[in-house]
Amino acid sequence: MFENKTIARLEQMLDAAIDGTFVESDYDESRLSRLESRWKEFLGSSVLSNQNLETERHRLETFISDISHQTKTPMTIIKMYSELLREEASRDDKASLAKIQKFADEICRQNARLEFLIDSLTKLSRLENGTLSIVPTEGEIDKLIKTSISSVASKAEQKKISISYEADSSLKASFDMKWTNEALINVLDNAVKYSPEGGNIRITVEQFEVYQAIHVTDDGPGISEEDATRIFGRFYRGSSVQQEEGVGIGLYLTREIIAKEDGYIKVVPNDKRKGGELVLYLKR
Amino acid sequence: MSILEAKNLTKYYGEGDTLVKALDGVSLSVERGEFVSIIGTSGSGKSTLLHMLGGLDNPTSGTVIIDDKDISGLKGDELCIFRRRKIGFIFQSFNLVPSITVYDNIILPIQLDGKKPDKDHIDNVIETLGIESKKNVLPSKLSGGQQQRVAIARALASKPAIILADEPTGNLDSKTSQDVLGLLKTTGKKYNQTIVMITHNDEIAQMADRTIRIEDGHIFA
Repeated sequence: MFENKTIARLEQMLDAAIDGTFVESDYDESRLSRLESRWKEFLGSSVLSNQNLETERHRLETFISDISHQTKTPMTIIKMYSELLREEASRDDKASLAKIQKFADEICRQNARLEFLIDSLTKLSRLENGTLSIVPTEGEIDKLIKTSISSVASKAEQKKISISYEADSSLKASFDMKWTNEALINVLDNAVKYSPEGGNIRITVEQFEVYQAIHVTDDGPGISEEDATRIFGRFYRGSSVQQEEGVGIGLYLTREIIAKEDGYIKVVPNDKRKGGELVLYLKR
Repeated sequence: MSILEAKNLTKYYGEGDTLVKALDGVSLSVERGEFVSIIGTSGSGKSTLLHMLGGLDNPTSGTVIIDDKDISGLKGDELCIFRRRKIGFIFQSFNLVPSITVYDNIILPIQLDGKKPDKDHIDNVIETLGIESKKNVLPSKLSGGQQQRVAIARALASKPAIILADEPTGNLDSKTSQDVLGLLKTTGKKYNQTIVMITHNDEIAQMADRTIRIEDGHIFA
């Protein structure tokens, strides 16, 4: 009799699970009640993994459409300037060398933009599908920062921007040198891009019990509170900076890298302080 | 798919001239895996709301649905068992049991439920929170920040449907707070854990994916 009742309930539970409507009937200390709760937990996690698959598929779709959208603009511009270039060149003696120079420069610029885009996308997809893995090991933060600074030094020099950093070789954290370098370069690159001519970028390290925080502060317009949560989205660019050169993938890549090392990244919005500030928290 | 849903919640205290509407028609919904903060000043109704969401108190009217179950219908013991199985709490005051070790504190809710602890998961959580070396000591030997990390581990260990955190850094200095919030944020993502956090502080609220503002018992998205 008792057995039949239990079997009947188990059958009901299975039916409800198939319909996707299962909810526990009681909460008490009996084994059946505990089983019901575990059954619900299992269903929840399998729904979650299905949902994740679906999200993943959707992400891939938008990723592909993003790529085609993002590559279209530079390609169109290259095409346009190539035609202008050909036209100008066909004017033989009357051709303006200055114009030809200008068109060629523009083609080069767009080409660099495409190169950067494809390069970032390749890295991103390798990172996301695990072909390239991030292996955090204990490393010197000083070395990380110095390598990153040297990568953006020439760009900064062109805009007469100084980068200040007080070296301290004793600070260590757990990170993957190559990838974290990539992440920090993206942040510094942004700081250089949005800083005014002759500005100053400051890098400081703050120690916590669990994290080491790398602050990157600049004299640029900063990020509004509204944009603060959105700037890490793929291909997102702040509303006020649309005209600046860039593709909006750098910070997304940066956040992905830092997250894979159990760290995180934070924006200090520009209503709290003047200028821009991003903070990378690396696990110690 | 939402894991937590509140519909038209009200909580009134007193009556007539002394009627206080602590919550006045609050509806919200939280998706699986989301980290949401509810921000409000003291007296805004945020703690009342958290108590309703966690089944620690009954609303005057309205419903709370957690993991598809309407908890308004649950009574006494049932509600108690429901909380133990479905909700991980993190309080301002840590609420660790002082007489047992850190590890035993972490597995306590699982043991109370008569389940076998998932050792791999728990070890992983302990390592991520950086408390491996404290496993066998008593909570009193730990700093405030470390105790709160243990409380986070305890909440994560049983893989609850949802974690409710009530001013989790209220008793910590700002530096330790940053550590604890960072861990809450990163572990939430790592273990796909839904988190609802109550705070009065804007900067703390910004650590979440989404912020809900509550003022005078009403919600502003």
